[in-house]
Amino acid sequence: MGRYVLARCLQLAPVTLVVIVLNFVLVHLAPGDVSIIMAGDNADPAYLAVIRERYGLDKPLGEQLWRYLVQVANGDLGLSFRSREPVFAEIMSRVPATLALVGTSLVLSVVLGTWIGAWIARRPGALLDSAVSAAAVALFSMPVFWLGLMLVLLFAVKLQLLPAMGMASVDGPREGVGRLIDLARHMVLPVLALMTVSVGQYIRLARGSVAEAMAESYVTTARAIGFPERVILMRYALRNALLPVVTVLGLQLGLLLTGAVLTETVFSWPGLGRLIYDAILARDTPVIMGSFIVMSVTVALASLITDLIYAALDPRVTL
Amino acid sequence: MIRSLRTALCAASLALGVWSGAAAAQQPVTLVVPQLGEPKTLSPNFSTDSLAFAPTSNVYSHLVAIDWGVNKGTGAYGDLAESWATSDDGKTVTFALHKNVSWHDGKPVTAADVKFTYDTIIAKKYPAFVVLKNVREITTPDDHTVVLQLIEPEVGFVPMLAQVSTWTAKIYPKHLWEKEEGFDKGPYVNAPVGSGPFRFVRWDKGGLVELETNKNYFRGPAKIDRLVFRQVTDVNVARAEFDSGRLQFLNYEYAPPLAEVAALKADPQVKVVFTPSHFSRDIQLNLARKPLDKPEVRQAIAHAIDRDAMNKLAFSGLWRPAVHASVESQGAFINRAAKFPAFDKAKAEALLDAAGLPRGAGGWRFDISVTNPNFPDCKAMMEVLVQQLRQVGINAKLEQFDQATWFRRQNEKNFDISCYFTRYGPDPDAYREHFMTGGGRNFMSYSNPEFDQLATKAATLRDKPERLAIYHQLQDMIVRDLPYINLFDEQKTTLIRAGWSGFNTEPSAFDKAITWYGYYTVTPPGR
Repeated sequence: MGRYVLARCLQLAPVTLVVIVLNFVLVHLAPGDVSIIMAGDNADPAYLAVIRERYGLDKPLGEQLWRYLVQVANGDLGLSFRSREPVFAEIMSRVPATLALVGTSLVLSVVLGTWIGAWIARRPGALLDSAVSAAAVALFSMPVFWLGLMLVLLFAVKLQLLPAMGMASVDGPREGVGRLIDLARHMVLPVLALMTVSVGQYIRLARGSVAEAMAESYVTTARAIGFPERVILMRYALRNALLPVVTVLGLQLGLLLTGAVLTETVFSWPGLGRLIYDAILARDTPVIMGSFIVMSVTVALASLITDLIYAALDPRVTL
Repeated sequence: MIRSLRTALCAASLALGVWSGAAAAQQPVTLVVPQLGEPKTLSPNFSTDSLAFAPTSNVYSHLVAIDWGVNKGTGAYGDLAESWATSDDGKTVTFALHKNVSWHDGKPVTAADVKFTYDTIIAKKYPAFVVLKNVREITTPDDHTVVLQLIEPEVGFVPMLAQVSTWTAKIYPKHLWEKEEGFDKGPYVNAPVGSGPFRFVRWDKGGLVELETNKNYFRGPAKIDRLVFRQVTDVNVARAEFDSGRLQFLNYEYAPPLAEVAALKADPQVKVVFTPSHFSRDIQLNLARKPLDKPEVRQAIAHAIDRDAMNKLAFSGLWRPAVHASVESQGAFINRAAKFPAFDKAKAEALLDAAGLPRGAGGWRFDISVTNPNFPDCKAMMEVLVQQLRQVGINAKLEQFDQATWFRRQNEKNFDISCYFTRYGPDPDAYREHFMTGGGRNFMSYSNPEFDQLATKAATLRDKPERLAIYHQLQDMIVRDLPYINLFDEQKTTLIRAGWSGFNTEPSAFDKAITWYGYYTVTPPGR
């Protein structure tokens, strides 16, 4: 087990290397560089030259890549071209916002989706099942930015119940419980938007696999022994049916940090998705590269965690 | 279950709503201005950062300033400068500074601060160098006098300095910055200490920049107590917040579709303000590309354009079509006799036939690509232009890119026709930048030695009638040679809640707002 984890962690190095090289080339294929954006649209050639020299953009691409690799190997993601702040600190300052938003909605949609899916799977084909399944497909196919706007119109504009922008009120408390409550109020609409769209997926997934498990012979045996239906469903069928849910959860866990650009845009949420989006438009290469590295490491770690959970859930799998 | 959950949620949010409402009750007047994104830093002088323009223009002062008053002819007015005078040879500009100005930390603002700021910009070739590169030396005979020695006489120097100051030549305090290596380093990059009408309070990253009124401002304190630049990344959400009364002002970046203007104007709670600028919306023609190198083809394109139809389709008829090589704000500098070819489809077709470009297979004469910077108005115009060109047999196609890509292609002169934003003020010397051989924005490869010689001469002439005559001559050449075709005067649309006034796009704030991004003159209801 320990060796397995170690081996998987070692695999990270080549993965990261490939990610860096691939992204470096892709970023530099895009026309325009940061000097043009920093100079404004009436650029003085002298200023462009100064910027390119200061940021090393005048060097050949191969040399730039090599310098970057050496720098990353030393654990340094560099400074942002635009803000002159360390890239790692810049990314980390956005992580809490993204985790709060995407993490909360992920947990809620998995728990709620699995629970609803398992519940309707007891009687496949019944009216409740058909209605909820159809609703799940409808939720799943809704564009998240549209849903977000509708939620804003309803809850923020018509009912004036909840805020629609950012993570904090302009005059809200800046510390203590007051601040947490303010944050919670700001989280309701974006989490609701993200969750509504992804919960449908888990409902369908859980429904399918629980229904399948309920048709297995060990369930029939359990029923014959006389276990209550609730216990059969929750303790035996659901545990077996969870495996596909865990797989999908693992995939989404990896995408946790990629943020949710559309949702973040609608709700002016200062997460990682917006950071990357802005960095791409501004050709802020260190921020783009740094974010991709952090994201690819998260994906790799998430798939490791998924495999570990798999082993815990399924006695047939040993590491 | 679901119903009870919903009830609980509603009850919880109601309770919280009451709580935050009570907290907001006795607050002083705060103006919240939405911004589409976050500034990169709050040090505006080392790079162009459009999202930092607004917060920093209200914290820092400038030597000279310009605002939307430019569209009634103001070239520049003093901010820190009380007055200025240019020597007879046009090579020495002497500024007298206001004497009772202090930095937000209490120290007095002196000529040394101005010299330090400009010297650093010149030494580091920061963006404002594009104007300050004509400065040979800066001297400070006393604490309140700044003398700029120019390399070449330049009549438009002060207006151009005012214009670049609105973006990226704010005056920094020497006593705080002289130890730093540059304007991108040190503790004041993101915690600015200025001498402007508002003081910096906090930057809540990803959320807002908060400023408070500078009680000691030398022109007297502003009428609002707090100014907050809040990040609102979605235009629809900003509009919903405005409609519900929680935002008092939507600037032109959040402009509503012009088709909605009629309905908005009928609402007594909303003021719709149109503000013309000293820019136009036009098209640049790449003279290095075939068949645009032929004058007849460019004339035909000009004849094919129906500005009125374009105005109706793109702007609901609310913009002002431009037929001269200038915009209305330039007054006497407009040569009203020099007009672009008028809409005449038959003439366009005849010219193209005569140019040896008859309609061929499918009725097409030739292919051409049309592009635009990433502005909503340009996009709307170019969609119509493509259709109008197709009607005379030019197989036009629209190609669109993100702003950085578009600009790179423009710089590489890799385009056929592109929407553009030609500038005519604050001084008509702007023509050189756009149309002189090798000019910074001459992406059309236009080259006319006579034009170059006259435009260079005009920049040094202090005699107004003689200058005027030359600029009229230059416009004659432009409408004859057609390196570009003017289409509309640019116009900004802003929304203001009734009761509020003095916003920078309103005439009452002209020449007083301190820059295009200034909020010093804003007056809330009841003050």
